[in-house]
Amino acid sequence: MLVDAPYIPASALEIEAQKAVEPGRPGPAFGRRLATLALRGGALAVFVGVLVVFSVTAPFFLTIGNIGNVLGQSAIAGVLAIGLTIVIIAGGSNVVTGGIDLSLAANMGLSAAVYASLAQAGHGDGVAIAGALGTGLAIGAVNAAAVTLAGIVPLLATLAVMNVVAGLELVLTQNTVVPASSEFLSALSAGGPFGIPVLAYVLLGFTLVVAAIVQYTPLGLRLYAVGAFPDAARAAGLPVKSFVAGSFLTSGLCGGLAGILSVSYLSGSTTGAGDMLLPVVVTALLGTVFSRRLVPTVTGTLLSALFVGFLINGFQLLNISSTLVSGVQGLLILLVVSATTLLGRKENA
Amino acid sequence: MADTAGRGAAIVRLENIVKRFGGAEALSGASLTVERGSVHGLVGQNGAGKSTLIKLIAGLHRADEGTVEIDGKVYDRLTPHLAEELGIHFIHQDRLLVPTFTVGEALFLGRELRFPGTPFLDRAAMRRRSAEILERYFGLALPHSALIADLSAAEKQIVQITRALIASPKVLVFDEPTAALVRREADLLFQLIRRLSAEGVTILYISHYLGEIVDLCDTVTVLRNGRDVATLPVAGTSAAEIGALMVNRDIGELYPKPDVAPGEVVLEVENLALAGRFDAVSFTLRRGEVLGLTGLVGSGAKEVVRTLFGLDRPTGGTVSVKGEAVFSADPAAATDRRLALVPEDRRRDGVALDLSVTENTTLASLGRFSRGLIDRGAERRQTEDLVKRLQIKTDGVDALVKTLSGGNQQKVAIAKWLSRQSEIYLLDEPTVGVDIAAKVEIYRLIGELAERGAAVLVLSSDIEELLGVTDRLLVFFRGRVTRQFISSETSPDQVLADVTGAYETLRHAG
Repeated sequence: MLVDAPYIPASALEIEAQKAVEPGRPGPAFGRRLATLALRGGALAVFVGVLVVFSVTAPFFLTIGNIGNVLGQSAIAGVLAIGLTIVIIAGGSNVVTGGIDLSLAANMGLSAAVYASLAQAGHGDGVAIAGALGTGLAIGAVNAAAVTLAGIVPLLATLAVMNVVAGLELVLTQNTVVPASSEFLSALSAGGPFGIPVLAYVLLGFTLVVAAIVQYTPLGLRLYAVGAFPDAARAAGLPVKSFVAGSFLTSGLCGGLAGILSVSYLSGSTTGAGDMLLPVVVTALLGTVFSRRLVPTVTGTLLSALFVGFLINGFQLLNISSTLVSGVQGLLILLVVSATTLLGRKENA
Repeated sequence: MADTAGRGAAIVRLENIVKRFGGAEALSGASLTVERGSVHGLVGQNGAGKSTLIKLIAGLHRADEGTVEIDGKVYDRLTPHLAEELGIHFIHQDRLLVPTFTVGEALFLGRELRFPGTPFLDRAAMRRRSAEILERYFGLALPHSALIADLSAAEKQIVQITRALIASPKVLVFDEPTAALVRREADLLFQLIRRLSAEGVTILYISHYLGEIVDLCDTVTVLRNGRDVATLPVAGTSAAEIGALMVNRDIGELYPKPDVAPGEVVLEVENLALAGRFDAVSFTLRRGEVLGLTGLVGSGAKEVVRTLFGLDRPTGGTVSVKGEAVFSADPAAATDRRLALVPEDRRRDGVALDLSVTENTTLASLGRFSRGLIDRGAERRQTEDLVKRLQIKTDGVDALVKTLSGGNQQKVAIAKWLSRQSEIYLLDEPTVGVDIAAKVEIYRLIGELAERGAAVLVLSSDIEELLGVTDRLLVFFRGRVTRQFISSETSPDQVLADVTGAYETLRHAG
């Protein structure tokens, strides 16, 4: 009588009650859909509204050159945000206990420093690329181990790793700018067809590949299952921990890739990579608003990267202080997280 | 689906299984033989070991002793994956489906359909196949774009079952499948089970509702206290007989119940109703009386207790405490009227684990110990007195409650209300998860409360216990009080028949 696992979970009671109270189903589902629709519509309206306001007030805003510019400028944050998106998909979008990788910006900084240092030491691009990607992957591996083996909440684990990585970058660069130049780097930072920077094409290509895997393969579907409902994934025979670990390895690689892009963009490694964290988190969280089911998606993240990019760009064109930009970004995080959390609560009620 | 050759041979055989958790034995020599092609029922009271037994077959637990044999082969290290490969599939009572998935995605998760020769998902094919399967087995058409979160409980249940069907199972294990279903949906499920059985799938069916077992199964195994006490053919056996096997008849000296002459009525409930939960509930409770409430999950008994304490606002009827009608739904006002609720989940709601015994004891009555500042001395004396009186085993009144055993934590939860000088006690599953010795002490404590003039209401799903400690017993079934018993004149199997609605089913059948 004493030791058996709790036989009837409290949730069964709730289900029973729910059924008894309202047998018809349109009620909550309909309300939720409406709210989802409002949130998505609202987000798109704000996106378009921002574009319109800026194009009216800033004459250069809607020129091909400027759009290409924004795409190129968004490449680094975009690649990082896509890495973060994968972690959020696999870890679930609960803001406190779900998937998050706060070490991404610092990861980019260290990877860039590794690249620039190797280049300065006379190594070729191949070695430097391998060094940067290896650095990113190693950081991802530490995150993966901390989360899946040590069982630390991602928020804390990656916060700690972020600090370690930022410290390593300081040690490596002595807090100085490490210049780097090579043909590969110049080619990356050059302009491409239609006057659009190569970095913009890199971002689009990268998004395409990752989106194809995440949105259109069984692997991606399983990734979503693992994050949204680990018990269901386990019941379907999926190795939940391996997926979570894999997501951190992937985001680590994204950090390494972003490091390479930033070396090319800035012609070397510079300090202050940590400032990138807020825009990256905004971008990834905001991305959920652009999906039909209000889940993080790779394409949604690309859209929101462009949105954030246009926002920053517009502010610059209008000569609005850049300090305001972080304020707006912080506000966006609050808005998006509270909106999706409220919706989620309604769903579970 | 499965071949019908060899019908009658054992497909699942558990032999003398012993399973311990910590020091306690969940199973102490249980055996279960399920024949190929049969519909086998498994019944037992809460804690009889059903869940543990099922989890052994699922490969989630490993037996400490005994053998697990599937299809004639002994498996020492059964894993969930292996169980699935052997064709054993489980319909759990909580639906394990991803809420943000479409029906097609949820059905095919883990064995997705792809465009031939590519690594890409063929969502259209998954949608088509799932529509076909749902139509074929359930005559159910769900919108293509429907997400799992949009489905009703019953529809989710159906999707869950369909997931198992896609894998062409040999054995399907249903764990309380009707808990979330209404009658019509349950009937649909029974039809499906019969059809699957006719197709040769072996069914293992766990349920609280004995009526269902009698309707559906051809063999039933009864578990009691971690052992199988009987395996019988259902033909010629009544629900009441099965119920009698589930409970231990000799109650013995477990229940030290004092004789108390009841005093004046302190709680009067008339036609109390909470829409969708319970309706037309009436009873009275006197000083010195112990009244029992019992019923299955969702029967309304628990909700009545919550409503009495002001946690839910009733939609009809009246509650009077000591002759005064109560209108507000307010737990604070309820405690002022000297009501006390000892909740089921004591670790979450009953005690603060990280506070000391003293702090917990005086938590609800700090007003008595403070004039601006807390009088630690008075607090301590009161707690020491209660610790002695309730025989709470602790390293001292400063020990943290989390260091105490479950039974002693429960006593602290009760001490809190004694310190508050409560007079009407609502005890929700007071002995869940405590060992037998602590149970007896809690029973003694209930008797003592009554002797001191308190009125006690005990909600429990352990019927023997209820009959042992209460004067009267009310049985709830689907939101109503279906019967009242005088505890001393009643045997557990009589009550169980009402709790499980065995008579309801007979009425349906007749």
